[in-house]
Amino acid sequence: MSVRITGIGIVSAIGLTVQENLLALKDGRTGIMPFSFRNDNKTFLAGAVRATNTDLRKELHIHDQYVSRTALLGLKAACEAWQNGKHCDEIRTGLISSTSVGGMDLSEKFYSAYLHGNNPDFEILRMHDSGSTTEKIAVELGISGYINTLSTACSSGANAIMLGARLLLQGKLDRVLVGGTDALTNFTVNGFRSLMIYDEQWCRPFDESREGLNLGEGAAFLLLENEKSIRFSGNRTLAFLNGWANAADAYHQTASSPEGKGATLAIQKAIEKSEISLSGISYINTHGTGTKNNDLSESVALKNVFGEHMPAFSSTKSFTGHTLAAAGAIEAVFSVLSIQHQLIYPNINFRSAIPETGLEPVTILQTEKPVSAVLSNSFGFGGNNSSLVFSNHE
Amino acid sequence: MYYISAASTISHQPAFLNAGFSGVIEPLHAGSELINPDYKEYIEPGLLRRMSKILRMSVACSGACLKQSQIEQPDAIVVGTGLGCLLDTEKFLNNALTIKGLLPPTSFIQSTHNTMAGQISLRLGNHGYNMTHTQNSVSFEHALLDAMLLIDEGEKHILAGAADEHIEFLDEISRNLNIKPAPGLTSGASFFILSAEKSERTLARVKDADAIGLVGNIPEKISMFLDRNKVKSGDLDLVLFAGSKVVTKDEIEEFQTFMKMENLHCMDYLKYSGIYPTASAFAMHFAADKIRHTRSLKNILICNSLIHSNLGLILIQSVEA
Repeated sequence: MSVRITGIGIVSAIGLTVQENLLALKDGRTGIMPFSFRNDNKTFLAGAVRATNTDLRKELHIHDQYVSRTALLGLKAACEAWQNGKHCDEIRTGLISSTSVGGMDLSEKFYSAYLHGNNPDFEILRMHDSGSTTEKIAVELGISGYINTLSTACSSGANAIMLGARLLLQGKLDRVLVGGTDALTNFTVNGFRSLMIYDEQWCRPFDESREGLNLGEGAAFLLLENEKSIRFSGNRTLAFLNGWANAADAYHQTASSPEGKGATLAIQKAIEKSEISLSGISYINTHGTGTKNNDLSESVALKNVFGEHMPAFSSTKSFTGHTLAAAGAIEAVFSVLSIQHQLIYPNINFRSAIPETGLEPVTILQTEKPVSAVLSNSFGFGGNNSSLVFSNHE
Repeated sequence: MYYISAASTISHQPAFLNAGFSGVIEPLHAGSELINPDYKEYIEPGLLRRMSKILRMSVACSGACLKQSQIEQPDAIVVGTGLGCLLDTEKFLNNALTIKGLLPPTSFIQSTHNTMAGQISLRLGNHGYNMTHTQNSVSFEHALLDAMLLIDEGEKHILAGAADEHIEFLDEISRNLNIKPAPGLTSGASFFILSAEKSERTLARVKDADAIGLVGNIPEKISMFLDRNKVKSGDLDLVLFAGSKVVTKDEIEEFQTFMKMENLHCMDYLKYSGIYPTASAFAMHFAADKIRHTRSLKNILICNSLIHSNLGLILIQSVEA
């Protein structure tokens, strides 16, 4: 029971296209840099996309007075994955996006003006809700009908992919564009600071000295199609989505359980669904945020599932930063690229293993080992754990 | 088939743990308030103090649903919310702009849309599928569709619901945007247990649902929906609607003409729920309660075009239909 992936699109701190992202991954080049918001002198490390809103508007021919950065980033990645797809009444097409901040990049500017009595423009708030981000993308791509947005914090992107696959398999849709988008906002930067898990240095996933995450921004989309849709589109299959699962950790509103209960369940169920054996998993693209709690809990979960036979694994968040709702989709695109180009990415900034688990991620780009199946993990607030399995076969 | 085996609503109507409430509802009027249950029956006082309105409504409604259905663990928890946790979002935005130094994290933690679904799983110790949909005025329909998909995939009992909370700032926004929402913006939550099989507790069944974004021809979509369910428009005993195309002095007539439903019994449910993005969940509880308590009713259609670019459709049938 697999689903075909026929298009991918991505924009992140390491590139504005699939090709640029691939190059940076091969070069081991991080996109996390000193960053400050406009009109703010505070500088911190973040994975910002190297394109202003003006650049994005121009490229995407967007002339609306207000459009959130979240929608612009999403539209950029969605267009790349959609590849000028054609519409046809017979091919039922859907769009499932995901976001955690929605139009917050605009709302927080409004709110600051409002609190300071600086003539706030209430029209901005029409872009606030998460659903409007997705509707904007749908309008531009000419998609109508099934248009939906998921918001489960940091696992949202993976959940959008999962829901798309389920809708195809149940025969509700023929083709669905799935992914996620989130822009950097003061709201989320302040939020992770308040939790004291924002690292002021470069994040160090799975390293003993890790102190937290660096936020990033970006978007990624994948086009999923059934056979009927492929006969119409003529699109080539890039890879397959073979397994998926979501499980609740039910431990704490933000922290992951020390025994990695939810994560273990999600990984086990996704692999079981994929009908790929544990030894058939060539690479794991982990959630690996760089927080003390996540990386330990995820390591325990990986050991619960794989025991002594740990596949090669790494976190790519030290390249892109943690892109929240987009992360699951961005890492899904990285998983597809890993299969297409036989690449296992390095976990940059890693030095020494977490003593409790002793797990060592891949630290140098591997190009010699065949990559046939990849497990991708995404875990979020509220104990929301999702895992996806991609491969080169049905 | 999808059976509603429990339903629970917090709204302006006396719906909470009150089977048959559909017979005693009254339109909202100036000064009418949300009828809150005794939250302490569902939530410990320490926790209750930290919970926003949307969170306590969701936790209490889901608790009441589980109690009614006598199900300890649902197979999945699916929630829809149009605007999410506005109270905590506003609070954290405010704190970030006014407090110098370290901010308290609670309102940030509770600002994410999946706070309700996460909190419910936490309280139940539930490790099943946990999802949150947020698509404007059709967020509840999307949550319901996901729950139906889970049943198609073989799950037995799904806890599915929706919630939205009102903050005063929304009134200020509507004034400034020159939107005059009658009968007023408010909060509400409705949760259900959707089951694969019927039992003596079943209220009604969900025959079908749809959520159509950027919808073009609404009457055409409605007839396609009825056709695929082999229901003629004359078979509809009641149509619950929101959002007539043009607000005129006679909204019902306007709606009937626009929807080509001149001869049908139509009722604007927003008059009873007040306006919030997921008010169609209130309509579903109302429809299920009405059908359960009125033998002659077979088919109720909920037709949600609260925002005209989106259309939500839910067909509720009596269990015998």
